[in-house]
Amino acid sequence: MAIHEKALIEDERLQQHDELVVDGVDVSGHWNTMISPRTVRDYDDDFETKIQGFAGGENVHRCWQCGSCTNSCTMYAQNVQFNPRYWIYLTRLGMKEELVKDKDIIWQCVSCNKCTNICPKDVKPEGVMKALAHWMEEEGITEKAPSTHFDEEFADQIYKTGRIEDGKVMQNFFKKTGQPLVQEWLKVFIFRMMKHLPVKHLMAMGFNTIHTPRTKSWGKTGDVLKNYVREQKEAAHG
Amino acid sequence: MQQDTVLVVGGGPAGLAAAANVNSAGYKAVVVEKEDVLGGAPILSGYAKLVPSGEWAKDAIGRMVKRVEDDANSTVHKGAKVEKLEGEAGNFTATLTNGESVQAGAVVLATGFTHFDSINKPEWGFGTYEDVLTTTQMEQMVASGKIACPSDGRVPERVCILLCVGSRDRQIGREWCSKICCTVSANLAMEIKEISPETDVFIYYMDIRTFGLYEDKFYWKSQEEFKTKFVKARIAEVTASGDGRLLVKGEDTLVKRPIVIPFDIVVHAIGMDPNADNPEISQVFGVGLEKHGFLERAEQYTNTCGTTRKGIYSCGAAYGPETIDDSIAQGAAAGGRAVADLHALVQKAG
Repeated sequence: MAIHEKALIEDERLQQHDELVVDGVDVSGHWNTMISPRTVRDYDDDFETKIQGFAGGENVHRCWQCGSCTNSCTMYAQNVQFNPRYWIYLTRLGMKEELVKDKDIIWQCVSCNKCTNICPKDVKPEGVMKALAHWMEEEGITEKAPSTHFDEEFADQIYKTGRIEDGKVMQNFFKKTGQPLVQEWLKVFIFRMMKHLPVKHLMAMGFNTIHTPRTKSWGKTGDVLKNYVREQKEAAHG
Repeated sequence: MQQDTVLVVGGGPAGLAAAANVNSAGYKAVVVEKEDVLGGAPILSGYAKLVPSGEWAKDAIGRMVKRVEDDANSTVHKGAKVEKLEGEAGNFTATLTNGESVQAGAVVLATGFTHFDSINKPEWGFGTYEDVLTTTQMEQMVASGKIACPSDGRVPERVCILLCVGSRDRQIGREWCSKICCTVSANLAMEIKEISPETDVFIYYMDIRTFGLYEDKFYWKSQEEFKTKFVKARIAEVTASGDGRLLVKGEDTLVKRPIVIPFDIVVHAIGMDPNADNPEISQVFGVGLEKHGFLERAEQYTNTCGTTRKGIYSCGAAYGPETIDDSIAQGAAAGGRAVADLHALVQKAG
């Protein structure tokens, strides 16, 4: 197939009929290959502001595309598809569909912050990577990260009782992230604790897991807290 | 007594600075301006706020005009050109188109530039679509205090400024950077946003050349505080969308993709051409032109402000694209240089 610059053609834009006859001429297979255009037809003017609402994305509008972030990037050295400079540009112009194509690698940022240190415009590209990953989670484009599940479980318990139960947090976290409830390290952990026979502690733990007591005079504090967090989130992300 | 007089050709920022410096040294200045008003491009083209001072052109340049007009040692000929120049350094006689004759010991050519005429880039829609403007027209719109599409008066959702229109383009024989358009455009974007906050401004660039202290004061400020979006693309053509908007076509070189983006107003950041009169000026004054058509400099290091002819000096945009501030500084230098050389001539004659 005589197509130049194949790197610029995504598979979904290649159109080809296995069997095709036009005016009696058989043009089956690669003879009828068409490539749908990749023209950018509009910008999403609000997208940059949206990403700026996520922690870390505040300075994305400062970028002037020097490429220092990509040059210094630990992940780019592993995979040239990991290109913070490019994603920042897409964010600025609101080219969401292009961003979503890279949903499976954007979260791979290891937060080494070499980009943050080198960026001449103080864009904080590492923060932008986080903001983008969070935006994708929020939009349901990517699955929730384990840390998000953990945060949610933690916060939920606080709202309800004003305190957390370690055992319950772990249990629900394992459930939500599809991990076995009994894990090797946990067994070792409990076994070592048992050796010291902390009878009182174990009893309290067992009791609390069943009863989950609330903090004294917690009252409606949880609801107030929950509302406040929701309001803040809405104010930031719309 | 021609040796106490300097003929200044051109009444723009450079010429006015030259005349003022000649006067300050106690010499006489004769300013010849072909238009009917003094002030040059900033006044004639109705510039809004100047870069980098931020002062309105009519105020800032107005002070320069007043300074020269109020000086008893200045004579101003408006609506006149120099038709003929005879003599040599220390002893020139100029004949003006208004019939007057001027005796002067030295001549300062502050003849400036001509704005690029966007008609020469027809693919970018100027002259075809009402909503395609030049930076000077946009400056006038800003000065009027209202941002609106000329076609139907609506407030534009989106404005884009195309850089390097009539600069850095071999196709049309402009092999120079006009130096100031990047900064002017970054500034214009801020002015548009200030007047019309709901308008988004995009700047299509090949490179951004906001040199020296213009970097943070204009480029960064425009991008960071006024949210101007800089897109790296050289536009191929501007066409009509069919629904009253304009389509800007090109290649976004940073994402390697073709773009066809709708805009309400397209602004050409027009460059600086050599003064259209330069061939005539070259002939009348007997000075050479360099390869782009601007005035040729004398040896720069010891004959600053010189031209190829002794006793004739130049400054500002006559030499090539120049900022207003530097034109003024060069004008002052040329005036000073002319006076200093006349002084030396008189000393020598004893």
